[in-house]
Amino acid sequence: MAGIEPVSPAEIRDPDLQALIERCERLGVPGSLFPRVLARVPEYAKALLRAMLLSHTEGNVDHKLKEIIRVQLARRAVDPYFAGLRSAKAMADGLDEAAIAAGCDDYERSPLFSEAEKWALRYADQMYLNPASVDAAFYAGMKQHYSEAQIMELGAFIALHYGMQVFMRTLGNGAPA
Amino acid sequence: MNTQTSSRWNAAGKLALRYSELMATDPAAIGPEFHDELRRYYSDEEIVELGSFIGFNLGFHTFFGTLKFYPMFAPDGRLVNQQESARIYGDAPASLVSAGRT
Repeated sequence: MAGIEPVSPAEIRDPDLQALIERCERLGVPGSLFPRVLARVPEYAKALLRAMLLSHTEGNVDHKLKEIIRVQLARRAVDPYFAGLRSAKAMADGLDEAAIAAGCDDYERSPLFSEAEKWALRYADQMYLNPASVDAAFYAGMKQHYSEAQIMELGAFIALHYGMQVFMRTLGNGAPA
Repeated sequence: MNTQTSSRWNAAGKLALRYSELMATDPAAIGPEFHDELRRYYSDEEIVELGSFIGFNLGFHTFFGTLKFYPMFAPDGRLVNQQESARIYGDAPASLVSAGRT
């Protein structure tokens, strides 16, 4: 790794952090490597990993849709580590690579997505590409399909995962782990 | 203010600010050489602390910026809703103007 070496599993002795990393590995996101880099700062690692897991797997927006969004964002962040990870839960629930590829490409014209799903994909796509376009009119459009609670759930999920992806990109390790 | 030429910051502080600026504007510039420079002033633990903090804020500030929040309190300290706050502070409250999000 160009930047920071991950902490070896034997060096991680905090049982709460160990349990969280095991959950990250079982889900497949954020995998093994990123949590063990964060483990250099255990209290940060526990807070951030809990938030990443919660925002990805819980709430009232479909987990498969969030997984497509997460990969779309990782590609936007040019982060091969997170772009290469897959949620085992989403894949077990029927998500496939064709839907992920469509969500990262011309999703607006894809027959694979509903109007509501396209709004969510557009929300993530525009958030960091052209945030000025995510304005009052955009939110009014989203509210045709999502509650305010769901929009906050999506926005926080997008913000947290994109931020961690950009950080991971700067560490320079593109190999999924 | 140009943080890189300011006398307010020492070299370590300037490098941390540069780390934040680059992560937002040119993350490709943060490579092995930049990490070597960071290690002159910071431990690996401090770099992870800084990097994850910057990433977190990078993600959330953009998200919050799209929400165009108005101040929750009136100048007299009353808690006000967003509509009343917009009436009080106008289309471009100072907090948004200073962040360049008018």
